Formats: sequence, C-alpha cells, structure tokens
Amino acid sequence: MSEVTTGGLKYMLKMLIRDKAGLLGLIIVSLFLGWSFVEGMLEIIAAHLRKPSLGWVLLPYDPLKINLALSLKPPSLAHIMGTNLEGQDIFSRILYAMPWDAFIAVVVVFSAIIIGALLGIFAGWAGGWVDELLMRITDAFLTLPALILVIAISVLLGPTYQNTIFGLIAVWWPTYARFYRAQVLRLKGMDFVQATRLSRVSRFKFYYKYLFLNSIDPIIAYAALDFGNVILTYATLAFLGIGKPVGYPELGAMASDGLSALPSGWWWPVFPGLTILVIVVGFVLLGDRLQDIIAGRVTY
Amino acid sequence: MDTIIFIIRRLINALFTLFLLIVIIFVLIHIIAPTPEALARIYASSPHVPPQALQAIIQKYGLNKPLYIQILTYIWNLLHGNLGFDPYYKAPELSVIMRFLPITLELVIPATILAVVLGILTGAIAAANRNKPIDYIVRGVYLATWAAPPFFVAIILQLIIAYYLHLLPPYGLFNPSLTAPKDITPFPLINGIITGDWPFVISMIRHMVLPMITLAIISFGIVTRITRATMIDYMESDFARLSIMKGLPRRRVVYGVVLRNASIPIVTLIALLFGYSVAGAVVVEEIFQYEGMGYFITQAIFNLDYIAILGTTIIIGISIIIANLVADLLYGLLDPRVRLS
Repeated sequence: MSEVTTGGLKYMLKMLIRDKAGLLGLIIVSLFLGWSFVEGMLEIIAAHLRKPSLGWVLLPYDPLKINLALSLKPPSLAHIMGTNLEGQDIFSRILYAMPWDAFIAVVVVFSAIIIGALLGIFAGWAGGWVDELLMRITDAFLTLPALILVIAISVLLGPTYQNTIFGLIAVWWPTYARFYRAQVLRLKGMDFVQATRLSRVSRFKFYYKYLFLNSIDPIIAYAALDFGNVILTYATLAFLGIGKPVGYPELGAMASDGLSALPSGWWWPVFPGLTILVIVVGFVLLGDRLQDIIAGRVTY
Repeated sequence: MDTIIFIIRRLINALFTLFLLIVIIFVLIHIIAPTPEALARIYASSPHVPPQALQAIIQKYGLNKPLYIQILTYIWNLLHGNLGFDPYYKAPELSVIMRFLPITLELVIPATILAVVLGILTGAIAAANRNKPIDYIVRGVYLATWAAPPFFVAIILQLIIAYYLHLLPPYGLFNPSLTAPKDITPFPLINGIITGDWPFVISMIRHMVLPMITLAIISFGIVTRITRATMIDYMESDFARLSIMKGLPRRRVVYGVVLRNASIPIVTLIALLFGYSVAGAVVVEEIFQYEGMGYFITQAIFNLDYIAILGTTIIIGISIIIANLVADLLYGLLDPRVRLS
C-alpha cells in the first residue's frame, strides 16, 4: 500500500510543477521550510553550546545587536528592509525568527492530525451517542474563532511559547476529527470492509491502518493550507503579545513593536507583515492546487 | 407548524452549543490548574498571593468544590448576568463588557455586511467571466487577502489612506474635541443619531471607515470563493439552460436567475464571517486605537485579567451563537427545503 501513496505523491509533484501557481507555492514553501530547518538547527546548536553568535553566521547582521547610531534607517543596500528603533537589521531579524513559525506550524498541524484521527476514527467506529457527543464537542470548538479560544487558553496558562502551542493544538484538532469520522462513515458501508467481518481482523485496527494510509493524499492537501492558517494565527497572537519566544524576535511581535514608528518608520512593521503574507500565500497556493489535483480538476 | 418546530430545534441546538462551550473552557482550565490553590492564583491574576488571600478566593468562588458544581454555579451566575467582578475596572464584569461590546458591534456588523456584498459581487463577476483575465485577478486578490495577516492590512490602509493621503483620521473612536452624547442606548452612534448630534455622528463614521474596510477585506474572500463555485455549478444546471432557451439574454440569466439562487447558501456564511470579523477586530481595534472589545481584550491580555478573558470569551461565544441562529433561521425562511429536512 505504501507504494500506492508514494506514487500518489510523485504524481502530485509532477502535476504541481506543471502549474505556474502551484510551482510558485512549492518554491515559497520549500524556501521557507528549508531555511527554517537550517537556521533552526543552527539556533539549537548555538543554544546548546551557549554561543549565540553561531545562530547568525548565515545572516547579514547580528539580529540582536543594539546600535543606536543606526536607529530607524530606511531600506537601503546595506539594510534591505531598514533598521528598527534599536538599530537592529530587520531583514536579519526576520530570517532569525522564521524557524519559530515553521516549528509551531509543523507541531500544531501534525498533533492536530494525530489527535483528530484517533478521536474521529473512534467516533465513527463507535457510532451512537459517543459519536453524537464528540461531534457536538467539535461543533462547540468550531463555533468560536480559533483566535479567541487560543487567546483564552494561552492567557490562562501563561502566554509563553510552549503554552501557545498547547492552546493552538487544543483548538486545531476538531476539523481533522470531523474529516476522519466522515472517512469512516464512508468506508463502513463498502463491501470489502464488510468482508473484514469474516476474517478475524479487528475492525477497529483495520480502520486505523486503512485510513491512515489512504487519507494521506487529501490530508497533505488540507494540511498544506492549514500550515498557513497556523502561521497566520500564531503571528496574530504574537502581535497581541502572546507566545513570543524568549530571547528571539517574532514576526507578529516585530510588526506590533513597529506600530510606534508609524508613519515615518513604515518599514519596521510593514516588512515582517509582508513576510508572513508571502509565506501564507505560498502555503495557500500549494494547498489549493493540491486539492484540485486530488479532485481531478487540474484544469478549470 | 413546521417553522415553529424548526425554530425551537435550532434554539435548543444553540443553547446546547453554548453549554458545551462553557464546559470545554472549564475542563481546559482544570487541566491547566488541577488544584484549588492553582485555580485561585489564576483568579487572582497573580502567581504571588499570600496563602490567606488564596483561601479567601477559594471560599469566595467555591474553587474546592467538584468541577460540575463549579460549572453549574458559573452557568447559574451567567443566567443572572453575573460574570464576576473586574479587578481593574472595579465594576461588575458584565457592565464593563457591555460598555465595550456595542462599540465593536457597530463596527463588526457593517463590516460583515460589506464583506458579503463585496464577496457576492466579486464572486459573480469572476464566475461570469470564468477563465478570463478578470477571473484570475479576482482569484488572485482573494487569495492575497485571505493570506494577509489582519494587522498587515490595517497598517497598510492606515499608512496610505490616513497618513499619506490624509483622507481619514488614523486612529481613535471620534474626534476627542467632541463630547459623546448621553447614553440612551448602549450604542454611541445610535445615541448620536437620536439626539441629532451630527458632528459627532460624522466624526464617528469617519473613524469607523478604515477599521471596517480592513475587517471586510480580511473576510470577504470566502464569500467570493463560494459564490463563484456555486454559480459555476448553477450555470450548468437545467434551470439556467431553460432560461437561456426561453430567450432571456445571457447577462440576465447569469446576474439574475443564477446569482439569486447562488446567493441563498451565502446566508449560512454570515455567522462565520461575523466570527472572523470579531476575531479580526481584536487586532484591528488595537491598531486603530478603536476602544471596543478588541481593545478591552488586548488590555486584559496585558494585565493577565482572567475574569475579563473568560467573560469576553463567553460573551463573544454567545454573540456568534446568536449570529449562527439568525443565519440558520434566515436560511430556513429563504429556502423551504432546509426546513423540511
């Protein structure tokens, strides 16, 4: 079965590259994730060796160095995105901040898929009042905008980076639970599933095995979109002062700090915001095209 | 009769959702703070509280009682309009929230309407010109607005329209040299209209435009997307073909017959859009220093004001559940098939 899925992946990639929008999305996402991985590794090693300078060997400037002589310099060749009030290079800070956004997106989406799959498949398999209750709970979660609920949870927990991840996961799983439940219900009536009753295969195990493998394609497409949603929500939270990593810049938080420099120092809040926009557009293009490819609507 | 049963069923549904929402929040809080002492620290909004004060808080809020008792007590208090006492405003929480909520509703409701109109218009134009340049432009625009962080849209609008072009004021609720008319309703704008204080009304509207447009921009994309998709489906339907065969001009079929049918499902999106706008308002109000719920929530985050956060979450939950209910009922009225199923 694994061969089928890799074949699906290859097919998806091939179709993506043929499409201009899809290719653009793929490029943006690869650059973002690739950079985040490299820079993230450097930051981890730097933190481990207690040598923070290792974290910015790839950056044009030390992102944390305060130099008031360079305060609020507009974009130029030396500082392509300008400098902030403390004279720090905004471009370096943006690059330095990226791994934190990538990490939160990956952790939240994968945790949500796992929790959602476990609960959703369980609800679909159990049926009856268990199913009804679980679906009502997901309804209640989906009623409130994710942002409002995460604000409530993170503030109650204490608005740190880890707690914000927890808060995001807590509100992110219901969509996936509904997806997997729908998949189980679709399978339940099929002949070959009915046939598993004859063999001694546990249906419960069967659903998990079968669904995990067979839902990979649609989940990849939806998750690609969802990475963008998580990054957007997290940036908005950080803008409000929730979940900033200690000792590191964050894109939303940079934009919020930069508000004080408006209107003359426009580059300070605008470039971090623009960066998030580009990253999320990348994920949206990728997810959108993947969904079309899976649905067989490659050309409109 | 059918209609009445339909309405009652939706009402029960809405109340149950609200009940579950409260239970979920309480369960989450208890996962976070399993002991009465930990809970009391959260209630006191401070980790450093003397033990006696901690005990007093535990007694006052009944934090040592079982979880279901606490939930029932909260719901009982909620039914009596008691959301606790705000430690920063030194007033009952509900009265504090009710001071800020109307200001946000005045902003969010027009923004939602604007988003729906904008979404249906752009969606219809894109569908009618499918795969032509204008379709690609519309799709590009909604993609970009969907992916844009709310604060980015707000900052760009503020910079260009307020700071560079000086067309509208950059921030505030109304011109500070004016005084707000006395409270007849909780809505300052309506008070201004009732008392005929036109300079105040005009000033408020001028301050409202930018945050409102921001909220509409960040949320209209979903309406565009769904209008476009539904219209493309309907254009291939039998009734659209029949209308064309009857000899109606294509333009009238697309923008009349098809659009009218395709916009009915949009009603169900109203609650979703309203939710988007409320969430967006938290950030947008901060940037435009528009002193509504968003501003209040930002302050509560800063102060780690637990009671305010819990209260605003519940009140926003109630507003969205009401919006859902209204959308459901409206949909049922517009499309009789919904009532029967």
